[in-house]
Amino acid sequence: MRDAEIDEALDRAVREPRPASPELLKRIGESIEPSLEPVRPLPPAWILTAILVLISLAVALAFAARAGLHGFEALDVPARVAIFAALAVLSCLAAELLVAEWTPGSRRRSTPAGLLAMASVVLGGVFALLFRDHRVEHFVSSGIACLLTGLACAAAAALLGLWVMRRGWAVNRVTAGLVAGTLSGLAGVTLLELHCTNFEALHVVVWHTLVVPVSAGAGAIFGWSVQRGRALS
Amino acid sequence: MARYQAGDFVAARALIKRISPALHRFLHAQCKSVSDADDLLQEAWLRIHRVRQTYRPGKALLPWVYAIARRVRIDHYRKSLRSTMREQRWDELSATAADSLTQPQPADTLEELLAPLSESQREVLEMLKVAGMSLEEVAQATSSSVGSVKQKVHRAYRKLRQSMSLVELRKGQTGVVP
Repeated sequence: MRDAEIDEALDRAVREPRPASPELLKRIGESIEPSLEPVRPLPPAWILTAILVLISLAVALAFAARAGLHGFEALDVPARVAIFAALAVLSCLAAELLVAEWTPGSRRRSTPAGLLAMASVVLGGVFALLFRDHRVEHFVSSGIACLLTGLACAAAAALLGLWVMRRGWAVNRVTAGLVAGTLSGLAGVTLLELHCTNFEALHVVVWHTLVVPVSAGAGAIFGWSVQRGRALS
Repeated sequence: MARYQAGDFVAARALIKRISPALHRFLHAQCKSVSDADDLLQEAWLRIHRVRQTYRPGKALLPWVYAIARRVRIDHYRKSLRSTMREQRWDELSATAADSLTQPQPADTLEELLAPLSESQREVLEMLKVAGMSLEEVAQATSSSVGSVKQKVHRAYRKLRQSMSLVELRKGQTGVVP
């Protein structure tokens, strides 16, 4: 059997008429008519992407301004460039994917899981290359403090991000939550790089990077619970 | 679509009339009956209507419509799966198992033709063949890459080739002339 014969069989089957009944179409029309007010389409994707990136940056800066920019001041220039360039690129990719997740039928450059893996690997790699202090002091206690600070910043960024995307509609709330968590987690890491002065390699690689997957996981769980709640109702 | 977004009821009605037949067929693949498909079509349109602001004028319409319809279909599938799991009895299970052992029959309707395929393969072929969407549009509607869609089509054709060859072989053995 050749592909052309399968095509022919499919085309033959598709030609078989199966119209939706005119009464049904009339009923559908009548059901939407009462609420048929003009709506404003979503702004272009690049505008929403830019707003999301700016919000992430603004939240990280606001938290860092309150806590102090000690980490940024202590970093040398090449480290500043490498870390913040990586964060900027990853944030742009995450914001672009988040807008796509909240707009049905959008083109995607990467998958949510791929983005999360890339963000974790890139940040972990950059930190491992830049930080050479291999001492380990108060690993867990100082690490937990950084993780919680980063997650608090991420939560604030996520809330504002959701407000920006309130007119959108996520086809899959789990993956939309995962991407929202990844983007806000990157805001949390930005805050830690601006504020934290603990330059022990293991501390930065483990605890600072961990903010992204933990935040993404929390976003996915939140999305799953919303989706399940809607499905049950 | 832009006129529908602007609140034009005539444009909305024209859009419903134009898209619904293919959409109905797409949704029917998941349902036991035509009336279920009717309900799903109505549900899909209500959802399309609720989120109509998410369509950006100038972009392809079908990927947007099918992405929403696909979600409606998935939600319906999960809901019916939950209720079926609650209600299904052992005798029904054995009846299903017996049905699956019957010999393949020649398929004439699209639903019969696509029956041997997995849900995702069937969905992709329906979008390509029934809705007439391009690979790129199907990728957008299913939130996946063009490569992944191509792979699903390739696997679907391989499976169809096997099942249709089996039917041809049986016809040859029994001497049945269609």
